[in-house]
Amino acid sequence: MKVEFWGQEFKVNMVVGCIGGFLIAIMSSMFGFGGGPFMVPLMTVALRLPMYLVVGSSLLAIFFNTSISTMRHYQFGNFDLIFFLAMFPAALLGGYIGPQIAKRVSPLVVKRVACVGLLLLALNLLGIY
Amino acid sequence: MKSRFRILPWLGLAMVMLLGAQAGHAVESGDATAAPTIAIDKTELKNGGTIKVSGQAEPGKAVYLEVWSEDHDVRASRFDSEKDKETGKRPYIFYLSGEMPAYYKIFVQKDLQPTIDEAKKAGNKWSYSALLKDLGADVAYSVPPRIKIDHFQSTLMASIVGSRGKQLPAMDEKETKKRSMQLVKARFRSIDKVFGAVIDVQPDGSYTADVNIRSGLAPGKYNIVAVVDNQAKSEPAVFDNKISFPTVYMGNAGTSMNLIYPFVLTLVVAIFGVLMGAGGGFILNPLLVTLFPALPHTIVAGTVTPTVLFSQGSGILNYSKIKFINWKLGASIGCAMLLGGFIGPKLTEMITLAQFKFAFGWILIVLAALMFWQTTPGYLAKNKKEQAILKEFKKRAEEATKGK
Repeated sequence: MKVEFWGQEFKVNMVVGCIGGFLIAIMSSMFGFGGGPFMVPLMTVALRLPMYLVVGSSLLAIFFNTSISTMRHYQFGNFDLIFFLAMFPAALLGGYIGPQIAKRVSPLVVKRVACVGLLLLALNLLGIY
Repeated sequence: MKSRFRILPWLGLAMVMLLGAQAGHAVESGDATAAPTIAIDKTELKNGGTIKVSGQAEPGKAVYLEVWSEDHDVRASRFDSEKDKETGKRPYIFYLSGEMPAYYKIFVQKDLQPTIDEAKKAGNKWSYSALLKDLGADVAYSVPPRIKIDHFQSTLMASIVGSRGKQLPAMDEKETKKRSMQLVKARFRSIDKVFGAVIDVQPDGSYTADVNIRSGLAPGKYNIVAVVDNQAKSEPAVFDNKISFPTVYMGNAGTSMNLIYPFVLTLVVAIFGVLMGAGGGFILNPLLVTLFPALPHTIVAGTVTPTVLFSQGSGILNYSKIKFINWKLGASIGCAMLLGGFIGPKLTEMITLAQFKFAFGWILIVLAALMFWQTTPGYLAKNKKEQAILKEFKKRAEEATKGK
């Protein structure tokens, strides 16, 4: 498939894109997260698309996934309104404060901290410590 | 001669059995065990606490206390994919009930603690029905067998289209009881949540117990019934568990929780998510599951998903304002993701918490590896260029929008 973006044309291997997207969608909807951190590498590395095309479009793709999985979770009665109301304002507030702090810290440091934090969390989940 | 010799022990055995049956009959028709009495020291709790239960039972009998929440039910489900021992086939039946009491626990005598400890050694594989029997507590098990359980025959195809499968005809009483035990385990998971050894029984039959109701449970009326055997049960003693804001009961999750905790947690995670450029769901989900073991993982996944939805929506809105989204590309891959998103939530329901944690653990390891890769020099150099181009294009896009 060919896509045009800001005057440039890109060839996209839709088979890889769709299968990858499908698998990421199952996983992310199953465990209840967005899927962005997997989608972006898929599109930049496997599909060889430039970052500036990926940032917006990957967001659109995962939005499809998140909306349908929200619907399905709701349908199965796995949605708790009060719990949601406790988290939702916090998420909005975080989205507002986040970018203000982002200007002041090095993304490299954040990523390293995240890396260690994720590993610790993973080991905890796997019951290793 | 030989045959007579063989018959003799059988005759003896038959006589013993007859005598035994008569003796048993005599006990039944004679005075039935008297119903125990029950008294509690308070009728109101504030988000948990300890209630002193005392009463009188027939001397020499074991006493059990069955405690359950009257006002609130929760949902319990279990996907049976274990191999049948006789036929070797996997049944793939999905059991679901919306009537499980939000709290259900049987208290036994203190001297049964070793039995409970023994069962704990089996780890996650403990069996509710076996433990119930070992403790002799099956006489007290009366509330869950009364719940309505639906069961569905799942097929691979049905799972793919995301349906629960075909609903099977209602189960009989015995089957419902058996399945209800499995659902009790599926819902409450750990032994400590469904059994406690707290009762002291004196030789004269009087008993006392400190029943501890933990915080974070459903509010409303709770019943306590003292049980000696199937017939001998006390009237229910009722107490009220009161909770007050900011602790709020979450109906679907079946727990009450101080709302400040998830608020603060989400705030911190959301900020951090923005910083590291990943949605907060990755960190929020596992943290919620680990920090608040009372929350079922299905509720966590199902409630965090819509939370992420809005930040994605606002992101899309911002990008679309400056025409920075390729709709064709996004929507095409989006359609494939639509399918995946349809199936995923179904699978959440079918897995246990342990499987959820295990899979999530590996996902996080992969994610950590991705993060690490993004801090390597090679990636950074490439990323610098990409970011420069990204900025350049964004600028152009913004100017184009303003120019209009």
